[in-house]
Amino acid sequence: MTSAVKPTTKHLLNDDQVVDFIINGYHIVEPQFPAEFHSQVYSELEALPTNPGDDISKAVPKIDEIYEHPAVRGALASVLGADYTRAAHRHCHKNHPGTRSQVWHQDSLNIPTLDDGHGRVSDHVQSVLVMYYPQDVASNMGPTALIPGSHLFTAAGDRNASHGNFRDQIVAVVPAGSMLILHYDIWHAGTANTSNQIRYMVKYLFERASESTQPSWNHDSANDAHIFERLERDEAALIQHSLVSKRNYRRTTMWNHLAGKAGLKYEYRDKWSGEWPQPNS
Amino acid sequence: MALKQRLLYLSAQSTDPRSPAISQALHEPVRGTIVEIDPTRTELDYESVHDAICDGWRVVHFPDQRGSLEGSEIEVLGYQFVLEKMEQFDD
Repeated sequence: MTSAVKPTTKHLLNDDQVVDFIINGYHIVEPQFPAEFHSQVYSELEALPTNPGDDISKAVPKIDEIYEHPAVRGALASVLGADYTRAAHRHCHKNHPGTRSQVWHQDSLNIPTLDDGHGRVSDHVQSVLVMYYPQDVASNMGPTALIPGSHLFTAAGDRNASHGNFRDQIVAVVPAGSMLILHYDIWHAGTANTSNQIRYMVKYLFERASESTQPSWNHDSANDAHIFERLERDEAALIQHSLVSKRNYRRTTMWNHLAGKAGLKYEYRDKWSGEWPQPNS
Repeated sequence: MALKQRLLYLSAQSTDPRSPAISQALHEPVRGTIVEIDPTRTELDYESVHDAICDGWRVVHFPDQRGSLEGSEIEVLGYQFVLEKMEQFDD
């Protein structure tokens, strides 16, 4: 990291927010900037004659300020460790009116700037995508869609190509300045822009630099039973029953990878005692 | 007018046609159309494959039940049924 501004503990996530990220694969941050800041970024993007590719941060330096905001850095430090790094690859998506929807996909692993060349990591957080939207994104402006929880599964794009709308898909209808942090392996897609306005989305990649030895967020071990309960019970999206136990195992493993020595200890507990079911009325 | 095949891909939570639908994609027999993710939709057209059958759709492909997905390296979401409806379309 190059910035001198470090996130304070008030900007770190709490246990439930980290569990939310593990379960759903995304987290939204809305760093506070003056309202005109994002419209200025939008104007500077509009003025670019060509796509600067990885040099988008040089072409529009204001974008770096957003990614360096303590609220963004706090969230990234929470899921990647305080020594996380920024990858050289970044991209500005310019979604014109009339742009059609992408198909569901995971981002490619064939990116040389992914430092360790890792594959899909369904039980850890090695890399995240962070998408910045400099304008309000309405539902008809090509918002990013994602399938919550899909980062926990290994999938092949061609095998999943016949899916269209998912019952539990999430659509990022967000205000200007929102930062959508995604587990790198989550299934997502840009959707159709049927409005009359260009929708920009700038994407940066961030990576884990070292393995956790302790939680890098605001953790309280008194929450362990509650965390364990959520990792086993919370639904992200409807999936087949045969994947539920694998999903739950990966959730817990992911938590333990992030928490280091504060990992959860799997112990048998009776989940079924209590009230008898009541007769149907 | 010509009789043409509409295709509805419905992925269900299990091989039971009454299990809840997870996703859907409708392919209309009209050139130039594509199947898109619709960000304005809040629900699917049908609760289940059975629900679609009640609306006149006919199953033309059942999900493969020969192998378990358990342990598979590729974890496809849902069990996919393909349904058709033959209807008249303008050429």
